[in-house]
Amino acid sequence: MAGHTIDELFAVLLARDIEAEDRSVQVGANMPMARAAAVMASLTSNPDLRLVLGLGINNLAGDRPPPAVHPFLFDPRSLVGEATMVQERVFDDAGRPDVFFVGGLQVDRRGNVNLFGIPDGEGGWKVRGPGGVALATMSTNCRGYYIVMPRHDPRTFVERVALITALGDRAERRRLGFPGGGPRLVLSPLGVFDFDQDGEMRIRSLHEGVSLDQVREATGFELVAPAEPVVTEPPTAAELSLLRERVDPEGTL
Amino acid sequence: MSARTSVLASADEAVAAIPDGAVVGIGGAVTAAHPMALVRALARRGVRDLTVVAPTGGLDVDLLIAAGCVSTVVASYVGMEGAAGVAPVFRRAAQEGGVTVRDLDEAHCVAALRAAAQRLPFLPWRGGAGTAFPELNPELVEFQDPVAGETLIAVPALRLDFALIYAETADEFGNAQVEGTGNMDQLLGAAADRVVVQVDRVVGNDQIRRDPARTWFWRQTQVVRAPFGTHPYSNAWMVADGEHLAEYAAAGRAGEAELASYLRRYLEGAADHDAYLEEIGIRRISSLLI
Repeated sequence: MAGHTIDELFAVLLARDIEAEDRSVQVGANMPMARAAAVMASLTSNPDLRLVLGLGINNLAGDRPPPAVHPFLFDPRSLVGEATMVQERVFDDAGRPDVFFVGGLQVDRRGNVNLFGIPDGEGGWKVRGPGGVALATMSTNCRGYYIVMPRHDPRTFVERVALITALGDRAERRRLGFPGGGPRLVLSPLGVFDFDQDGEMRIRSLHEGVSLDQVREATGFELVAPAEPVVTEPPTAAELSLLRERVDPEGTL
Repeated sequence: MSARTSVLASADEAVAAIPDGAVVGIGGAVTAAHPMALVRALARRGVRDLTVVAPTGGLDVDLLIAAGCVSTVVASYVGMEGAAGVAPVFRRAAQEGGVTVRDLDEAHCVAALRAAAQRLPFLPWRGGAGTAFPELNPELVEFQDPVAGETLIAVPALRLDFALIYAETADEFGNAQVEGTGNMDQLLGAAADRVVVQVDRVVGNDQIRRDPARTWFWRQTQVVRAPFGTHPYSNAWMVADGEHLAEYAAAGRAGEAELASYLRRYLEGAADHDAYLEEIGIRRISSLLI
């Protein structure tokens, strides 16, 4: 079972990192790799994990095989789990979602994420995104969240995001008394990153074949880096077979 | 004994009451349960300067912008999940200054509508503190709460003149029942002076009474029957039409002639909802039914 896609790698890395104390994973956007990660975790390390996809709650552990990782839907096919809820319920129980997944146009050295877009400096937009969705609220309250960046270059990994949608900066979060734990990891096609004691983004591992120079060149700020970064542990044969046979049989990832 | 009043109306009758400059909430979430037949009727009417409140919007917002009806968009998301990351006409209008965007977090939408429904000036919320929200939307005000001294966001009430929402069924007296989750729609109705509910089926009051816990009602409601009227979005019995959404997204991205051609075919050229369905075709509709 040689080789894997980047989304398969993301799914495996996220599944490994979901904690035993996490009880509820909310996937609020079109991130099939996040859904796959939650399903993998619920089938292995964390049978009590609830997966909340949109407004449907799919408890995937148990006897029935989990559904394939299909595109994100809000339609009847997504409401197949053990519970559904109205939109405001998501926020009336703001402490329920433990884990959230964040994509973004930009991430910065403090872990702030921009999903709004790039302003033109005159009150308008150079690039306008779809909106903040529930990112600010989820990132404020959940136990921890994962930032998944589909690209890694100096325009996406920046010194300071143009606009903050999710406040990741640990010092700022402390100052404002946020209940949630903040960003756990940043995943990119080049590596896995976390945050040091000062809240600075640091290299945790680099994917196979990625050099320190390469990731430095692709990053718009100085990453905290060990002299010799470890290599991301690639998906094991067991992880890949679980992923491909039970979680994502249609090969969406 | 006098008879109870029927609130049934046609789509055109219902949207005829919406004046230029109105604040109009539109229900549904992402690819589900948008009252598209009402939206198309409104877009055809050529109303101007609307403030459109769409908590998680898409083609509904985009079509109204494309038809020149909108001056302000209030939303947490205007995208076309699967077909386009950002709704194309919305993106262009926002970038070129054609519409004003008042960004809200999805939870701010809940707080703003709830404040309006509860006749409060604002409700507090924590999410959004320390972010660019107050900069993007100056109506959101960071404040120190008087109880615990925490930094919170005051989310002002968002009173709607009209809420356009979808339910699978309703009776002629304005009792609506949804089969899906209902998204944020009940709250949109509560925040509005007038509610227009688009349904697939008008049922007898006796059928509503079989499951009264599911009934939604508001003070002033109209019910519009428009079968398959969420198309290209889903309802409980129909999945979203990904092909049509992709067709629109391509036209929207191209703009100009291609967008005009889409609008001619599906909006201006289709005089009413039945004409729209004829344009879509029974084979396509049939293929979407669950």
